[in-house]
Amino acid sequence: MNDSPLVVVEGLRFSRGDRDIFRGVDLTIPRGKITAIMGPSGSGKTTLLKLIGGQLAPEAGRVTIDGHDVHALSRKKLFALRRRMGMLFQSGALFSDLSVFENVAFPLRVHTDLPDAMIRDVVLMKLEAVGLRGARELMPAELSGGMARRVALARALALDPELILYDEPFVGQDPISMGVLVQLIRRVNDALGLTAVVVSHDIKETLSIADYVYVIADGKVMAHGTPQSLNVDQDPRVSQFMHGEPDGPVPFHYPADDFYRDMLNAGNAGEMR
Amino acid sequence: MMTRITRLGRHGCDLVEALGRAGMFLGQSLVGRPSVEGFKLWLRQMHFIGVLSLAIVLVSGLFIGMVLALQGFTILVDFGAEDALGQMVSLSLLRELAPVVAALLFAGRAGSALTAEIGLMKATEQLSSMEMIGVDPLKRVVAPRLWAGFVSLPLLTVGFSVIGIWGGHLVGVEWLGVYEGSYWGNMQSSVDFVDDIGNGMLKSLVFALVVTWIAVFQGYDLVPTSEGISRATTRTVVYSSLAVLGLDFVLTALMFGELG
Repeated sequence: MNDSPLVVVEGLRFSRGDRDIFRGVDLTIPRGKITAIMGPSGSGKTTLLKLIGGQLAPEAGRVTIDGHDVHALSRKKLFALRRRMGMLFQSGALFSDLSVFENVAFPLRVHTDLPDAMIRDVVLMKLEAVGLRGARELMPAELSGGMARRVALARALALDPELILYDEPFVGQDPISMGVLVQLIRRVNDALGLTAVVVSHDIKETLSIADYVYVIADGKVMAHGTPQSLNVDQDPRVSQFMHGEPDGPVPFHYPADDFYRDMLNAGNAGEMR
Repeated sequence: MMTRITRLGRHGCDLVEALGRAGMFLGQSLVGRPSVEGFKLWLRQMHFIGVLSLAIVLVSGLFIGMVLALQGFTILVDFGAEDALGQMVSLSLLRELAPVVAALLFAGRAGSALTAEIGLMKATEQLSSMEMIGVDPLKRVVAPRLWAGFVSLPLLTVGFSVIGIWGGHLVGVEWLGVYEGSYWGNMQSSVDFVDDIGNGMLKSLVFALVVTWIAVFQGYDLVPTSEGISRATTRTVVYSSLAVLGLDFVLTALMFGELG
């Protein structure tokens, strides 16, 4: 197997309006491993996945996947590259006009010439792996949030991608489906040897499956290392995040004026219409 | 004063930028090889956009034709010219009312639905996930809807004219007693295939391009929130109605200005 990393992010800069989301981020995602990208909400983790998938363009810096500079590719080549990736969206993002079966079959129908019988076999295998073979006739609106995400996982895996991007896979899951998802992510990775990027702020679950972890805050990589090394990291910011302490070097408050002055400032009452 | 000028300039830049984006969007959607799969998607959209708009367009056409005959008769009969009723009804419909009214109804019925549908697909990340699967939503979602709009509005306009003329016959001949032979005969001798039917259809085709383009682009370009969707849907109806009425004047001036 090729030893060079599958994804390399160098000097990535991105901002929304006046707010800098990334101020020079460098990451390498090794092949065949689960790499976690963690950070507080609003630190731009989802944005990072969209930059890797080429859905957003950075202001500076490069993202290369298997040697291809994602943002220098033509539209056609970018779409060809994306066939080798799968992405699990936070909401699932299932096509609401297609049944569960057709959602999972969609990538196969558009990218392969497989006969219907074989598509059926592949779809049922993928659905069996996420435990939803019996739900294949349902429409996305009839699924619970956890089920929708498992269907979306089956769809993301339908074409056996090399790289899979998970956007907050554990958010809003009940404990049982959380456990199922954690195991699924680890299992498909070991079984298929694919490269995974998990973006999350659920520390316990993520650390239990990740091989390597990047912690992002304030638009930069704050720390990186194996789960074991991060757990004993002495940096107060890292340890605050890893151990879930409410306030510390990473503030609980969004930047604001002095609270006392703000309360007394009657002149601005007009903003509260 | 300076800020006002600055603001005006910024609005101008925004407008030009939006037009550029809309143009790129149209080009990228429409360029591409036709395929069997694309044809199936197009047929499906023909159903949603065309067939489901049929009822409102035909009913409106019927009433407009009947009103035209009623109003026309009361004026024409004063001059003893009620024999020209067929000519009046058919020319008004073919040249003006059918293309314009059908386009306005189409913007309200199909245009707003297109904007809301595509907008909701964007808000629920369906378009993003399609992109990540490696399928271009411009080709898969947008193009079939554009082509379906381009084809269905002219067809709906034909239906509008036909049923309007029949409605005029219903009121003029069956109810008010205009001589049937002169209703159809005058129509036949005065309506020119190229000048009247052809120009009317050309108008309708232009309106179809503009209304569908506006509707689909507004859906694709909106801010993906509930407020964004409601604004974009409103904008679709307002912009396309204004565009249809404005363009109608320009086209009429070009087509019939020198006919005298």
